[in-house]
Amino acid sequence: MLKIIKINLRNTKNVILAGLGLSLLLAWFPVSSPAAEVKLSFDHFYNHAELTKALQALAQAYPRLITVKSIGKSYQGKDIWGVILTNPDTGPAERKPGYYIDGNIHGNEIQGTEVALYAIWYLLTNYGRNELATRLLDERTFYIVPTMNPDSRDVYINQVSDPDSPRSGLMPYDDDRDGLADEDGPEDLDGDGSITMMRKKVAAAGTGTHKLHPDDPRILVPIKPGEKGDYLLLGEEGVDNDGDGLINEDGRGGYDMNRNFGFNWQPEYVQRGAGPYPFCFPETAAVRDFILAHPNIAGAQSFHNFGGMILRGPGAKNMGEYLPADRQVYDYVGKNGEKILPGYRYIVVYKDMYTVYGGTIDFIYNVLGAFTFSNELDQDPLEALRPRRQASEEETVDVRAMLSQQGRVEEMEYHDLVLLGEHFSPWKPFKHPLYGDVEIGGVKKFGRRVPPTFKLAETCHRNAAFCFYHADQLPRLEIVKAEAKKLAQRQYQLDLSIANSRVTPTMAAVAIQNKLHRPDEVRVEGPKVKILAAGFLQDEFRGLTQPIKIRQNKVLIENGVPGFGRVNLRFLIEGSGKIQVIYDSLRGGLKSKTMTLE
Amino acid sequence: MKKPNFIVVAGFLVLFCVILSQGKVLSQSTPQPKASKVNLLPVRSPQEITASLRALVSENPKIARLLTIGRSSGNQEINVLELAADAGTSGLPKEARPAILVTANLEGLHFLGTEAACLLARKLVDGYKKDKTITEIVERRTIYIAPLLNPDAYTSWMTKVKWERMTNSRPVDEDNDGQVDEDGPEDLNGDGLITMMRVKDPEGTFLPDPREPRLLKMADPKKGEKGIYKVYSEGVDNDGDGEINEDPAGGVEVNRNFPHDFEYFIKTGGLWPVSEPESQALLRFMNEHQSIALVLNFSTENTILNLQQTGQARAGADRVRVPRMYASFLGLDPDQEYTLKEIVEAMKGLGMAAGMEITEEMVASFLGLGPAVTIDRQDMPIFEAVQKEYKELINKAGLDYPERRAKPVEKGSFVAYCYFQYGVPVFSSDLWTVPEPKKPAEKDTLTPEKLKKMTSEEFIGLGEEKIAAFLKEQGAPGNFSAASLIAMVKSGQVTPARMAEMLEKMPKRPPTSDEEHPDTYLLQWSETTLAGSGFVNWKPYKHPTLGEVEIGGLAPGIKLLPPAALAQKAIETHVDFYLKLIERVPEIEIQEIRAKNLGEGVYEISAFLTNSKWFPTSTAQGRRAMTSWPIRVKLNLEKGQQLFSGRTTVTVPFLNSGEVKKVVWTIRGKKGTRITVEAGSPKLGKTASTLILP
Repeated sequence: MLKIIKINLRNTKNVILAGLGLSLLLAWFPVSSPAAEVKLSFDHFYNHAELTKALQALAQAYPRLITVKSIGKSYQGKDIWGVILTNPDTGPAERKPGYYIDGNIHGNEIQGTEVALYAIWYLLTNYGRNELATRLLDERTFYIVPTMNPDSRDVYINQVSDPDSPRSGLMPYDDDRDGLADEDGPEDLDGDGSITMMRKKVAAAGTGTHKLHPDDPRILVPIKPGEKGDYLLLGEEGVDNDGDGLINEDGRGGYDMNRNFGFNWQPEYVQRGAGPYPFCFPETAAVRDFILAHPNIAGAQSFHNFGGMILRGPGAKNMGEYLPADRQVYDYVGKNGEKILPGYRYIVVYKDMYTVYGGTIDFIYNVLGAFTFSNELDQDPLEALRPRRQASEEETVDVRAMLSQQGRVEEMEYHDLVLLGEHFSPWKPFKHPLYGDVEIGGVKKFGRRVPPTFKLAETCHRNAAFCFYHADQLPRLEIVKAEAKKLAQRQYQLDLSIANSRVTPTMAAVAIQNKLHRPDEVRVEGPKVKILAAGFLQDEFRGLTQPIKIRQNKVLIENGVPGFGRVNLRFLIEGSGKIQVIYDSLRGGLKSKTMTLE
Repeated sequence: MKKPNFIVVAGFLVLFCVILSQGKVLSQSTPQPKASKVNLLPVRSPQEITASLRALVSENPKIARLLTIGRSSGNQEINVLELAADAGTSGLPKEARPAILVTANLEGLHFLGTEAACLLARKLVDGYKKDKTITEIVERRTIYIAPLLNPDAYTSWMTKVKWERMTNSRPVDEDNDGQVDEDGPEDLNGDGLITMMRVKDPEGTFLPDPREPRLLKMADPKKGEKGIYKVYSEGVDNDGDGEINEDPAGGVEVNRNFPHDFEYFIKTGGLWPVSEPESQALLRFMNEHQSIALVLNFSTENTILNLQQTGQARAGADRVRVPRMYASFLGLDPDQEYTLKEIVEAMKGLGMAAGMEITEEMVASFLGLGPAVTIDRQDMPIFEAVQKEYKELINKAGLDYPERRAKPVEKGSFVAYCYFQYGVPVFSSDLWTVPEPKKPAEKDTLTPEKLKKMTSEEFIGLGEEKIAAFLKEQGAPGNFSAASLIAMVKSGQVTPARMAEMLEKMPKRPPTSDEEHPDTYLLQWSETTLAGSGFVNWKPYKHPTLGEVEIGGLAPGIKLLPPAALAQKAIETHVDFYLKLIERVPEIEIQEIRAKNLGEGVYEISAFLTNSKWFPTSTAQGRRAMTSWPIRVKLNLEKGQQLFSGRTTVTVPFLNSGEVKKVVWTIRGKKGTRITVEAGSPKLGKTASTLILP
């Protein structure tokens, strides 16, 4: 896939066709996989009821591997589903490294839910068939919240909306601070099921602010100084519901749940949408509790749209960059992610995008010490066709033109030739109560930020594959050496080696530095067994050790096991017969070995 | 960021709290008297407090209600008493009247604050229909009183063994070993108090203070001192990890859990802002009651006297650079600094606004300027005026309050949240603090009062030595030398009167003296007023793991519990002062509406809005934080009348005390018909006025 796109980059049409062909192939492939007991289609957006049905069907078909539970209720009282996946026969869920996924925190960014559902479906239907799926469910536990925002999801899918809303949850919010909440939202005046734009041809020629694009009259271009315009751009479809002289100034909701998390949270005047205090919304509180209830979570993904990005924090620069050791882990996974997701860029939120205070991923990393990405699902279909602008060019971009131009020629071609006009509403005349004769039209709600359904399966598969890759890169521990040497009657020297064959350490540097959770520990259990001394074995040839404090027959491994690394320990123990050595890591799982002292 | 280890913590505790007696001789010469001889402020149980609130409600059902706003982490009720007459004189329902929130004891052991809040409630109830001012408050305002906001910590004091615990009951793994609350203190010597243990140790860093041998001080090797003791709090190593009392019961200090300037990665402040049920309950309540226009708090912070803020003032916070990407487009120089106002003008000049109002707040948020960290210039006069009155009041009442011990807000404090985020005026008082022994004032000792009246020549004439002593006494920073000051006065850069003025505004701090142990005054307080019950003499004890130790030191609660008579006076004085502040909360008034006939059926309507109360209708910080509301003024027309110019709803940003603002409309209407003007905001109530067109 990567190759094909590279070869054809110069030829727009070929890329579209190649993409189309491949996507169709992918869309067709999973549905027809023979072992699938539950048939789900991934050329479809699931509303909350459909999602519930799909999860229940999966729960019925794979009762051993999946638990579906309500982790809380949305503002409107819908269940927020939390899905837990693991094979219980290989150990309790909490004792395996955990991987968390959520989607759709922003109500209009819906396709994260399909990706999450696809990941669940793929793991379940391929358990026992596919080596990776089997290993992941044997060795890891997945905690998945397909939609954090079921209220707005249903509005977006089933009611009128525009591509960018409702981003918020649906708790009424007084956006214009007039004492009333949600009293003046947009209306679908032309009845096409979407909120599009209003424009007006001015009565006196040349007194407008915009003119028609010479190549495509569906596009309005802001006039340059000295030019004359015949059009006014009037904003989104709607009327002045509350008679305050403003149109659409207080629509549904109005806050941003991805600014409401409790790390580097900032008040509304610093971070718009933050809400009055962290976790004040039922949805964010439910997700917080779900994550906190599973301290084994060591990696996470929070899906958004759009732009084709694999994002890591920090969301803002005021509290500094992530620690260097952790950045190396992020870079390793992120760079490999770019191979799984061609066209996606692995970048940093505050530096390469914009500032986000109180975001989900900063909370999960900084408060829980779990490595967290946020994928901005799907590239701008137009961006994929053009080479990306260089940073130096961006400085001279005409921001005003960018903000107020309505549409672009390439976008129209894409709508006409690829989407076959399905997601564009041609400008139609309308008699507006305030503005009189206007035209209503523009890109419809599914026309910009969500993938066309023929591409959805590819979005789902590649992003799920990235999650699987990241989940597989969580710590994978093995007690590679456990040898006892008799020193005296009932006295043994015990050498232990614990290896981690993955890039993620059992304790993130941020967790070590800030003591976010208990460190790993080693216990030696057995009748009358006692640890007399313990140390890190630093030089096995010279037998140099660095002593570790012993507490009640256990020692704490304050720095855990590094990624692709190992911890070598030497104990002096007293005892005999069968003993069990246990390496117990909160994030990295539990490993044990039984041996006999003789 | 690292959690300090216990020895270091104990070290600090000792520096501030431990008292040392020089062996048996001293303990015999000052036999320890029984605590019961001194009549201290009685501590009521949370149950008694709740019962008294319920009694107050059932006796006065027409003005009082008890609301349970949540539960503590130890599952105790958190109550708010609502006081407002059912039938108010403003005609507004209780929740629409301007409201005042009185909060107390977020720290859990500020018993004085709880009692003061209860007395304030009692005074409002008792004065209703008897006292004119109080009747007006109860009828035109709604008062919310939360006397006990950290019941878990409070309850921990009610046990037999006294220990200063300011945390709620959340189980927290302080020492990060996977177990919670497994190693707290024990009363080993059975005196009912958790004090300190000292043990001779080659690694010891403490030694008896030479000037006050009952106190321990950190050895200073540079002065040739050598430590003798290691110091621990009283207890044993319950979990066998070699440390003592490193993970006691309780978890989070609620008053460090609020979201302004919150300190991350400090377990005692909570893992994230508003993580605790107590802080959540309070903020939920405040957000559901947007009518709250003033917060009056009782805590160990005294922010009336000490206006110092926690945040580091950032240089050039009000002058900023514009990112290159926007600068070129706005026609601004990316290498130069601009005020927010200049940036707003630049944006307006380009027609960016498109009908929307561009405010400085929007620009600040857009450019990512971060939160405010100092009291806004425009709000400062309010705080300074209240401070001045307060100082006069405590002097007049004869309260012996050492001003320089007034504590500023802490990081994550509720008080800071109220001003910086909730955006209302807030005042906090600790009511009382341990007074300092009076030093006999020498005749020629310099004082700020004397300084004020001095000429420059007289000041220079004092000589370097006296000025240096004065600076030390005033706690001036080290780089402030007498010589430099004299030079400044000589050159006319500063006058003695101006210096005195500056000193008054400066945050007061304890004297920089390195000769006197900082706890000497507590020891003297214990002896002069508490009959010695404020500290426990060091006595040997056989400790299970440390061996021979001595137990002793400051008694817990010495800074918290004044003698009952003193407490009574402090509470009365402060409650009266808070009542005075409550009276000053503004409500919106329409002073007059005028109609000027401009011609046949055309009128110019002018409405004059005013604020006749003391506080402005909003704070500048409230406006910046976008948590205050502008005053909305609405013109209601009858059928047949038409608005010709002006908008139906006009917003007036704010009114200072005594300020009058005019709102003008031009309408067409028939003579004899009626127009109505409404004005209001959630924090100011609502009012309306009607006019018949002449």
